[in-house]
Amino acid sequence: MPEKKLNIILAGIANVGKSVIFNHLTGLHQHIGNWPGKTIEKAEGTLHYKGYTIDVLDLPGIYSLGTYSIEEEISREYITKEKVDFIINIVDSTRLETNLLFTLQLLALQKPVVLALNMMDLSRKKGLSIDCQKLQELLGIPVVPMIATEGKGITEVLNEGIELVKTQKPVPKVQKELTAKERADLSHQICREVIKVTKPKKISWSEKFDNLTCHKIWGYPVMIVILVAMVLTIFKFGNWFSSLLEKITSGWQIGWENIFGISIWASLGWSAIESAIALIQIALPYIIPFYLLLFLLEDWGYLARVAFLLDNLMHRIGVHGKACIPLMLGFGCNVPACLSCRIMETQRERFITGFLTTLVPCSAVTVIIMGLVGKFVGISWAFGLYLFAILIIFGLGKLASKTLPGEATELIMEMPDYKQPNLKTIVLQTWFRLKDFLYIAGPLVIISGVIIEGIHLAGWLPAIANFLSPITVKWLGLPTITGILLIFGILRKELILVMLATLLGTANFAQVLNPVQMITLALISMLYIPCIATLATLWREFGWRKAFGITGFEIVFAILIGGIAFRILARLF
Amino acid sequence: MINELNLIKLKEGEVAEIITIAGGQMTTKRLADLGLILGTKIKVLRKAPLWGPVEIEVRGSRLVLGRGLASKILVKPI
Repeated sequence: MPEKKLNIILAGIANVGKSVIFNHLTGLHQHIGNWPGKTIEKAEGTLHYKGYTIDVLDLPGIYSLGTYSIEEEISREYITKEKVDFIINIVDSTRLETNLLFTLQLLALQKPVVLALNMMDLSRKKGLSIDCQKLQELLGIPVVPMIATEGKGITEVLNEGIELVKTQKPVPKVQKELTAKERADLSHQICREVIKVTKPKKISWSEKFDNLTCHKIWGYPVMIVILVAMVLTIFKFGNWFSSLLEKITSGWQIGWENIFGISIWASLGWSAIESAIALIQIALPYIIPFYLLLFLLEDWGYLARVAFLLDNLMHRIGVHGKACIPLMLGFGCNVPACLSCRIMETQRERFITGFLTTLVPCSAVTVIIMGLVGKFVGISWAFGLYLFAILIIFGLGKLASKTLPGEATELIMEMPDYKQPNLKTIVLQTWFRLKDFLYIAGPLVIISGVIIEGIHLAGWLPAIANFLSPITVKWLGLPTITGILLIFGILRKELILVMLATLLGTANFAQVLNPVQMITLALISMLYIPCIATLATLWREFGWRKAFGITGFEIVFAILIGGIAFRILARLF
Repeated sequence: MINELNLIKLKEGEVAEIITIAGGQMTTKRLADLGLILGTKIKVLRKAPLWGPVEIEVRGSRLVLGRGLASKILVKPI
C-alpha cells in the first residue's frame, strides 16, 4: 500500500511557540530554504505518523493575511492556491484575544483548521482558565490544549487534523471577510465567554525581572552587564578552544608534506585544507557559542527588551529597535548577521541594516584588534577602535537613512513574557545558522584560498604589493607588504594577522610595526571590505549591484578614514 | 475635543480608549491587525526614556509601539 501523503501548515502570529512545535514534529528532517524568488525563509519538514507521510510547512509569523508585507502575501497565496489538507493554527493561550484576530482571518479562507492552544502552563500560572470545549463550539473547529515545550498536545493535534481529513467534515461557514472591527468584537466576545480569571494576579518573579530590565535607568546598566558578560564568555571560551584546535592541527602541514612532497600541487592542495581548517577554527570556538548564547537570550525573551531599550537609538540611524539584533549578530560573524536582516519589515530597512552589519567588527576582526593593538599598543586603544567602529556605524547609518528614498517604519513588536528557554530550540537554531554559514562561506573561502595561493606561487604578490604601495605606503603610512595582507584579508579578515606573522617571520609585531601603523592597520582591516563570504551573502540577499556598491564604498571610505587617522595618530605618538 | 490626547501623553498605568488613528491607510490597517481600532481600550504600561517606544496592554497582549506611531493614536482617558 502506498503511503498516504498529507500537506499541512503551521500558522500563527509571532512568539507563539511555532518553531518549538515545528522542531518537535520534524526534528532534523527539515529543510530551510527560500520562497522562490523571495528572500523570505521557508521552513519545511517531513514526518511519518500513523501510516501518513506528512509534509509540514512552517509559515512565517504574521499578524494578518493581508498585503502589508511580503510574508503576508506569500502566506495568503500559499494557503489559497496550494493543496492544504489541514492547518494547525497555533495560538498563545495567555494572549488569546489578539491571537484569535488572526484565527478569524484564517477561518475565512475556508480550509480545515485545528486550533492548538499553546502555553497552557503559562496561562494557568497567570490565573487564566480557558474552557476549551466552549471555544471549540464557538469557533466550530477542534481545539487542543498544548504545552509545546513539554511536548504535550502535539500528537493530539495531529490526530484531530487527520480526523478532519478522514471525515471530510465541512469547514465552518464563517462569514467571509469580516471587517477588522467585526473581528475585534467577535474575538473579544469569544474571550469573554471562554476565559475565566480564577485567581488575582500576583507579581511573579518574571514580572519583577521585567520591571528591572525595562527600567528607565536600571535597564541600561543591566543590559550592558548582560551583553558584556556574553561577549567575555565567548572570547574566553573561544580563545581557549581555538588555541586547543591550533595545537591539534599544528603538525598537519608537515604531515601533508611528508605524504605529498613539496610541489605546486601539494601547496595548492594544502591551501585548500588550510582554508577549511581556519574556517572551523572560527566556527567552532566563536560562532557556535555566540549563537547559543544569543538564541538563549532570544528564547528567554530578553532580546525584545533590548529592542525596546534601544529603539530610540536605532531610530537615529533610520531603522527601528529590531535592527539591534542583526547588528549584535555581526559581532560574531557578518554572514548570519546579514541573513538575519530579514526580520526587518521593509526592503529599505533590510538594506540599511545589512550595510551596517558589514561594518560591525566580527570575531575575525576582533582577533586582529586584540592580537595587534590590544597586545602591543594597549587595551584602551583596542576598545577605542570598537568605539570608533560604533561611531562610524552611527554616522553612516544616518547618512544612509537620509539619502535612501522612503521613510523609516516604526517599531511594532509584541513584548513576550519571560519564559524558561527551550534548549532544543536554541540548539537547532544554532545548528541551522551554522549550516548556512558553512554552506555559503565554505566553498568560497576554500576556492579563493587556492586562487590566492596560486598567485602567491606564481610570484605575483610582490608586484601587487608594489602596485598598491602609493595607497598603502604613501597615503596610509604602512609597510609595502600590507598590500599583500589586504588581498589575503578578503578571504578571511584574520589572515591579515596570520600572514603578517608569516611574511615577517615573527609574531612580535612590535619589531616591525610602530603603534601608529598597528592602529591604522587594524582600523583598515575593520572597514576596508566585507570578507568574501559576507560579500556572497550580500549578493544573495540584495543583488550584485548593491553588494558591489557596498564593497566599493567601503574600500574608498576605509582608505580615506585610514589616511586621516594615520596623520592624526602620527601627532599623538 | 478637549479630552482627546495623543497616546504618548498618557502616564504609565493610565487607561484610555482609542478615538482616532491619525495615520494613512497602511498604518490604520497594520494597527487594526493587532486589534487596535476605534473604541479599543488600552493601558500604558511603560514608556522608554528619551523619546523611546511605548509599551501598552491591549486585549491581554503587550505591544511595543515606536513613539512616532504611538503619537498617531489619539485617545480619551477613562
